[in-house]
Amino acid sequence: MSTYGHLDTDAHDVDPPGPDTRSARPAPASRTVLLRRATAPVALTAVMFLLAFTLGSTTLVTMQEVLAFAVFATATNLLLGQAGLVSFGQAVFFGIGSYTVALGWLHWQLPFWATFVLAPFVGALVAIPIGLVALRARKLYFALSTLAFSELAYQLAESRYNFTKGANGVFGPFVPTALTQPRTGYLFLLAVTVVSLLLLWKVNHSPFGLVLRAIRENRERVQALGVNVYLHQVAAFVISGAFCALAGAMFVIYSQSGYPELLDWTTSGWPVFMAVIGGMGTFLGPALGALIYQFGHDQLVLYFSDWQLVLGAVLLVIVMFWPDGLMGALARLGGVIRRWWKGRR
Amino acid sequence: MDLSAFVTQSIGALSTASSLFIVAAGLTLVFGALRLINIAHGSFYMYGALAATTVVGWFPDSGFWIALIVGPLVALVMGVGVEMGVLRRLYGREHLTQLLATFALLLIFADLALRFWGKNVRSINPPKVVNGNFGLVGARVPAYDMVIIAAAIVVGGGLWLLLTHTTLGWKIRAVVDDPEVLVCSGVNIRMLYTGVFGLGALLAGLAGVVIAPQQAVGPGMDAQIIVAAFIVAVIGGLGSITGAAIGSLIIGIAETLGANLAPSWASTFIYLLMIVVLAVRPWGLLGTPER
Repeated sequence: MSTYGHLDTDAHDVDPPGPDTRSARPAPASRTVLLRRATAPVALTAVMFLLAFTLGSTTLVTMQEVLAFAVFATATNLLLGQAGLVSFGQAVFFGIGSYTVALGWLHWQLPFWATFVLAPFVGALVAIPIGLVALRARKLYFALSTLAFSELAYQLAESRYNFTKGANGVFGPFVPTALTQPRTGYLFLLAVTVVSLLLLWKVNHSPFGLVLRAIRENRERVQALGVNVYLHQVAAFVISGAFCALAGAMFVIYSQSGYPELLDWTTSGWPVFMAVIGGMGTFLGPALGALIYQFGHDQLVLYFSDWQLVLGAVLLVIVMFWPDGLMGALARLGGVIRRWWKGRR
Repeated sequence: MDLSAFVTQSIGALSTASSLFIVAAGLTLVFGALRLINIAHGSFYMYGALAATTVVGWFPDSGFWIALIVGPLVALVMGVGVEMGVLRRLYGREHLTQLLATFALLLIFADLALRFWGKNVRSINPPKVVNGNFGLVGARVPAYDMVIIAAAIVVGGGLWLLLTHTTLGWKIRAVVDDPEVLVCSGVNIRMLYTGVFGLGALLAGLAGVVIAPQQAVGPGMDAQIIVAAFIVAVIGGLGSITGAAIGSLIIGIAETLGANLAPSWASTFIYLLMIVVLAVRPWGLLGTPER
């Protein structure tokens, strides 16, 4: 770990609050650090929990969508922000997660809970061959081959009518009635989101996550150190695929259907947009991006039809002038305020 | 399959390949010189086609020939604007940044097109001279197919002449190899970038006009063509014009064969083809490995 320890510091200017392996110190100090750093995530979870009893049911339903997309965007950001891999194919796994639940019910009458647990494993299983092929290509060629996989999956879902019900998608009462209530659905999805984000956070801050960042910063050097770059990236792709599929299964609770557009390459663009809006360099950035994207979308379409125009303009401004997204901007603002406060005293 | 059916199918495949080539050649030319993938290339194509429908609406008789000039010009102006307003500030940044910026532009242009032209699908007829069919060894061949094929040949030949026989072409090829040396030898590289990007946009606009009499023109054609153009350019190898020609021929033939042999699998066929090519040669048939 110490070999490329220096990379870690510059790769992560803005760290999320939470227990940090990097600042591990002798036992007594680390416990207080741990406690202090655990405060923010615990508080955040508590606030999100309380929202279930204060928000109206329409907003709660939107929040269900936000939670599914938060996992989708955070899982995509494992590739984007950590590994530096631009994938335009994560919708493949998102869609597969949804279809696992929907088709499991349609063809084999599998109970919701079974398919929900199964979804990430199906996603991981599909991600292995795709990752093995796509990661042979680099940079833009990787981005474009994941895009081809996304289109392939979309066309397959649309044309295999007997299996997938084609363009209509699969609708049905496959979500348990308890979860179709806005509040219980929200609480269930919140629990799944918290667990998923904790796991993904663990991945980011493990030695494995460190290797991914090291590869992003200097691939040749890591290779020279004897690390198998290809297999590390495939592993990241599979982990991301599993969580994207879980997000797809979560989305079903909101949409109560699976349909081909979920696999399309433009759907693959969503989590990338969310990550960029929120900030790819931070852990919670993509989740914040999901919140803004979804509420922005829901509010804007009420008043005027040019949602894509606004999204495009916002993206363009962020990409051109604000490359570290909203979280980055907030962190900088925080720094300015802290310095001003210190100067005053 | 008898001869006349074979001829009909071959001309169909060639005409599909030709329109794909004009789009993909622009995309790959821009990639070669600027090292960026322009998703908004699909917007230039759509605006070319939409402009054609408008011009033909004004001048029903000679409109198509006027559109053949107006459409590419519209795309050229858009392209120069995009390069000078946005992309110029993003050279040297990560490729994700450029990819997202052009994606954002695609979204913006798509909504603006809805504002200007509405969401109804529009269509125009081929000009009278080339409307209808003609006989070729017992087969009925749409005359307009020959126009598309001719356009592709003109574009291909023109690009070849430009790149190999003019100073401008030498500069464009030099910028692919070593931009720094080119700057040192006194070439205005910013102008060159703008010019190459504009030329790419112009080709997309031209393809849009040429395809307009054959296809429904409306929202969504931007995202649809860009995926097809990616596939062609990636199979051929990004940055290689010859590769784009080969790639478009492969896709044209594959689409025609697929539609005849296994119609229900035809839509998945070309994506599988691209994945197979990338699995064997991750940088495309005539491309060079990414550094």
